[in-house]
Amino acid sequence: MLTTVKRPNLQLIWVIATKEIKDSVRNRWVMVVFAIFWLLALCMTFAGSAVGGTLSLPSLSSVVASLTTISVFIIPLAAILLSYEAFVGEEEAGTLQLLLTYPVSKSQILAGKLLAHGGVLFTAIASSYGSSAAILLVFGRGESWGEILSAFALLIASSCVLAVIFILISYLVSLKSAEKARAVGSLLALWFALVLIYDLLLLLLLVADLGYASQWLVNLLILLNPTDLYRAINMLGASAPLGSLGLLAQYEWSLPLLLSTCVAWLVGLLYWTRRVFLKKLV
Amino acid sequence: MSQMAVTFNQVSHYFDELRALNDLSFSLPGGKLMALLGHNGAGKSTLIKMILGLLDPCQGEVSVLGQTQNPASKAASTDIGYLPENISFYDKLTGHEVLSYFAALKGVSARAVAPLLEEFGLAYAQHKAVKGYSKGMKQRLGFAQAILARPRLLLLDEPTVGLDPQASQFIYHKLKQLTDQGCTAIVCTHELQLVEPQLDLALVLGRGKRLAFGTLDELVLNCGLGVHMAHPALAGLVATHPLLQSFYRDGDLICPVSQREVLMKYLTLECQLFDVKVTLPDLAQVYHAKMAQMQVMSELGLSLTSGEL
Ligand SMILES: Nc1ncnc2c1ncn2[C@@H]1O[C@H](COP(=O)(O)OP(=O)(O)OP(=O)(O)O)[C@@H](O)[C@H]1O
Ligand SMILES: [Mg+2]
Repeated sequence: MLTTVKRPNLQLIWVIATKEIKDSVRNRWVMVVFAIFWLLALCMTFAGSAVGGTLSLPSLSSVVASLTTISVFIIPLAAILLSYEAFVGEEEAGTLQLLLTYPVSKSQILAGKLLAHGGVLFTAIASSYGSSAAILLVFGRGESWGEILSAFALLIASSCVLAVIFILISYLVSLKSAEKARAVGSLLALWFALVLIYDLLLLLLLVADLGYASQWLVNLLILLNPTDLYRAINMLGASAPLGSLGLLAQYEWSLPLLLSTCVAWLVGLLYWTRRVFLKKLV
Repeated sequence: MSQMAVTFNQVSHYFDELRALNDLSFSLPGGKLMALLGHNGAGKSTLIKMILGLLDPCQGEVSVLGQTQNPASKAASTDIGYLPENISFYDKLTGHEVLSYFAALKGVSARAVAPLLEEFGLAYAQHKAVKGYSKGMKQRLGFAQAILARPRLLLLDEPTVGLDPQASQFIYHKLKQLTDQGCTAIVCTHELQLVEPQLDLALVLGRGKRLAFGTLDELVLNCGLGVHMAHPALAGLVATHPLLQSFYRDGDLICPVSQREVLMKYLTLECQLFDVKVTLPDLAQVYHAKMAQMQVMSELGLSLTSGEL
């Protein structure tokens, strides 16, 4: 005789999340993502000493700057790889349709997947960048603990927000794609556009020199691209040079404005993804 | 009404312009096995999805296990077991993990999983990734998934596709057990010979319309096909019994189902034939007759009115 037990909502979300994690681990994406982040964090932390030939670590601001520069490429890519299949994969396998006949709501399915994919990326980012911070704390050039911790807290927090933003973008594309291959294709194109092409266009806009109006437009456009937002937040937070962004923007942003725009992106995408899922027919 | 497991009341469903279900009505009593038949694209899967609440009726009303179905209230969902067509599950998980996952979502104890895998002959492969399963193994896993929570209504979309004859037989044997215990089953299939001995009722769909609904006997009765009667002595008797002539074709007698009793009586009483071999039309013949009728009607430009042909 089977025993039927009533499950509270959170437990269902957890059931879905653990299955997703298991799936990602078996797919080896989790291993790849962890390896990349650890390699990246350690390389960036020790890069200076390798060049100098001595064990003198680079300054806090240059570590944060180089981690930020490379994270802008890697975090969206890792998020895409981890989550592009989330819906289109289940649709191809026929399990999404089946799942929807179960006593689970679409919101619970979405929450479970997000918990799993967000959790994997959070663990990878926090552990790797955290170890980078620990190395600076112990062997660093004598920057204060407060400085190091706050810069890394901002880096890790904003990296996680960027990760979740790209997970949600992947979900959206996954929900709207008919095939896995098409989903991953569109997402890589989007990645390429947001991370590389977008900045080139901004530069062109500036070079075209339309005066005050174009500077204003560029500033606005930076707020409209989550990867640029992420860069700006961390450069500002570590008072590091803005790099290519510095060239673009003469305007002084405030950190709260950047952070709240970032959160607005996240909330907006979450709302939109949920809506698309709720409206989706199977 | 309360003992009806599924009722469709003048239900239509459109995919944009396409009318996938057209003014469909039927009532399926509880504890019965209904075969859902029809050509590719007839609307069978659409009908099943409407019972599940995955699709809304554009017109009409669907009621399932005594409740009017709307997707907002999925109260009945633990009571319904579903096997979708072409399911391939999660490649990277093992059979045991897949079934445990669905058990957890339905609130079924994890202890139920191993015996079920055993029963479905999957115990030996339960710790292998589903990716390495054959089509039939996946199908068995899917069926085990459908009956996990002891559903009151089972919806199986082509459950025996890719199964070997023994496995198909096992599925229908299991289904019989379940229906005997009061479970209602709707089996959508193209394998007419397999389902014929098992069904209580059949619903034949054609282009979204109901072409026929009823027990096999009722279908035979209203499809206009004849009963075959064979006996070696018939050829000789036809000359002396003019009444037989009108039924005589190629060595056999073929008569409408409605006249079968009378003709049998005539053969025994008047002709002293006692061991006449009687063959009723089978499900496949009924099916083909219905499809042919649909074809003719549409070629003549006659619209298929609601109800049966
Ligand atoms: N999601 C959809 N969008 C548009 N049209 C659809 C959709 N699903 C089904 N249809 C159409 O509805 C009709 C009925 O489809 P359905 O899947 O119910 O057929 P079926 O009887 O199950 O066929 P098969 O035997 O091939 O499984 C078909 O013409 C099909 O093209
Ligand atoms: Mg179908």
